[in-house]
Amino acid sequence: MTGTPGALMPPRRRLSSSEHGEGPYVWRFSRLDRTLHLMVIVSFYALLVTGIPLLFAHSRWAQSAIGLLGGVETAGLIHRLGAILTFTYLFLHLGAILTGALRAPDRRSYFLGPNSMIPNAKDWRDLKQMFRYFRGKADIPRFDRFSYMEKFEYWGVFWGVAIMGLSGLLMWFPEFFAQFIPGWGFNVATILHGREALLALGVIFTIHFYNINLRPEKFPLDVVIFTGRATVGYMKEEHPLEYERLVSEGRLESRIAPETPESAYRGWALLGFMALAIGMFLVLFVVVAALA
Amino acid sequence: MRPRMVAAALLVMMCPASSAWAQEDAASCEKCHEDRRFLTGKTETSEQDQALFVTRDLLLQSAHEELSCASCHEEHALGYPHVTDAIASQCSACHEAEQGDWAQSVHADNYTSAGDAADCVVCHTAHTVYSRDDERSPTHDLNVAGLCAGCHADSTIVGTYFSAPEDSLAAASVALYHETVHGTRVTDAGLEVSATCSDCHRSHRTLPGESPGSSLHHDSIPTTCGRCHDQVLDAYAGASHGAASPPDAGEEGEPGFDPPNCVDCHTAHGIVEAHEPNWFRGSVEECGQCHERLYETYLGTYHGKVTHLGGELAAKCSDCHTAHDMRPASDSLSSVHETKVVATCARCHEDANESFAKYYVHGDPMNRAEFPLLFWPWVIVTAYVVGALALFNVHTGMWLWRNARHAIQVRREHRT
Repeated sequence: MTGTPGALMPPRRRLSSSEHGEGPYVWRFSRLDRTLHLMVIVSFYALLVTGIPLLFAHSRWAQSAIGLLGGVETAGLIHRLGAILTFTYLFLHLGAILTGALRAPDRRSYFLGPNSMIPNAKDWRDLKQMFRYFRGKADIPRFDRFSYMEKFEYWGVFWGVAIMGLSGLLMWFPEFFAQFIPGWGFNVATILHGREALLALGVIFTIHFYNINLRPEKFPLDVVIFTGRATVGYMKEEHPLEYERLVSEGRLESRIAPETPESAYRGWALLGFMALAIGMFLVLFVVVAALA
Repeated sequence: MRPRMVAAALLVMMCPASSAWAQEDAASCEKCHEDRRFLTGKTETSEQDQALFVTRDLLLQSAHEELSCASCHEEHALGYPHVTDAIASQCSACHEAEQGDWAQSVHADNYTSAGDAADCVVCHTAHTVYSRDDERSPTHDLNVAGLCAGCHADSTIVGTYFSAPEDSLAAASVALYHETVHGTRVTDAGLEVSATCSDCHRSHRTLPGESPGSSLHHDSIPTTCGRCHDQVLDAYAGASHGAASPPDAGEEGEPGFDPPNCVDCHTAHGIVEAHEPNWFRGSVEECGQCHERLYETYLGTYHGKVTHLGGELAAKCSDCHTAHDMRPASDSLSSVHETKVVATCARCHEDANESFAKYYVHGDPMNRAEFPLLFWPWVIVTAYVVGALALFNVHTGMWLWRNARHAIQVRREHRT
């Protein structure tokens, strides 16, 4: 790997993959992106930590978890606050897309260009190439700003929020919704809410955590979503097309970011590890409870 | 006029002594029995000496003020030195009914077999016999618990009479009684009407629950509790559980069907008030002892899970089925009959309507025959989640496999 702006010292090697490789740092996520992701994390964990024990209420584990949370009524309150936070980030994000679209000089490229989350033909080609790569028959695909995996997870959150939000609201305000649906609809909503929760948990703690943190290139952690910046080395490895576009369009200079302050880095790494640990713990809980 | 006073009046009329005779007789007894110095050394212990010290004043204050010494100590009256020390056999001369009841009791049994169980004077004392309405009496409502505990909370006494280990828990029962609603109302609130030992166990015909004649026998418990809780008894007796008593009545012809009565849910001594959180959790499990399937399906719902985790707000069995007047849904008087179920839901869910009440409170998605509306969504949603997770993990799994193979390859190259 040569040919990068060489005046800067490479950053010290640290745990997070976003700090690996040659410098300097490049901005990857805006303040709003980072805030929204943080809201997703906080709400997701609040909902899971309070919801999973209820789903497996018969397990002894659930009793202690609810005890730690300060009782089932407190857990219920935290769960509802988690729901409010979820709807808040949903509408903040939808609002951001709307204003972004209104302000975009080229609306077509806003929705269909490389910075959009909308899947395109290249994503399909990348997916096929990825499976060839798995079998050792091709190089890993060269991704642009968002890989097909990131797009998949992004839409997964939309799907999850829609299903969990709707079924959750049904159960939260059953007297209101009974005007429109029969009572057994709440039984179905309960089934759906519980099952979709397991899907979300499974996707985040197996697929998302593996893709983002646990695969060898990234192990053990990637804090780019928290700090918003990653090294040029990281960008070249994970998002080479975006990096090359920035260079060829002469926009790299405007994206150069200061190095992550040590204290902030430590804080985010700690948060990341905590999230990983709680996630693994929850997976363990679900497996134990499901087997019991 | 109270029956007890009638009895006292009759007693005075029936007793062989005239008032004058009584006083004369007492005067001669007093010569010795009011003289402590004379009594000293008359028996083996000073305590027994002390028991011989009986003053006229003491008797005059008691319910037996009109009786003479000889009314009870018949043989002593024949002269001095006294020919016998037999006492206490005379209570029945006046208190025939009480004596009859006592003779059937477990106390009488033990009195005969072991010789030292509660007889008249153990509870009523020998000379300072007060009416049970008199607060000085050990048998006054506020004093009974202490009186019974004198023996039943004493481990040596309990150990002598109770052979079965569970019976020897009497001390624990007494302690529990004092910690819970009946006991605290007596001891803390001084409430005479709160149940004390003799209200349930009877004062004279005290028998263990196994005995058919006992007030605590399975068949008699509702009546015993109903002496005070009469509205509860009315509801219970008319509803599923009460109407099915006695045990041989059976449900759907099942032999040995044993419907729960008061103590099965409320326990005997550790009675918890219904507003306390512990009570409800216990009550749900109690119902589940027999209603196994309903208990399991309830635990599968939001109500059941929240309750199981210690929640106080979610519906428990009695919130929908009532506490005492529970009836099958087919009964038009039932709180869960189709004509009443909306009102029952509305007790918590104020705006509940008919559609709302179509919620399956005991819905079991895995029961296809009974809940097809839940079974199919359950199958589809489960298949969707398992399928999606499996499919997505093919990607992760293959990537993992590829990386592992790559790592092995790199190491091998490194070695060669």
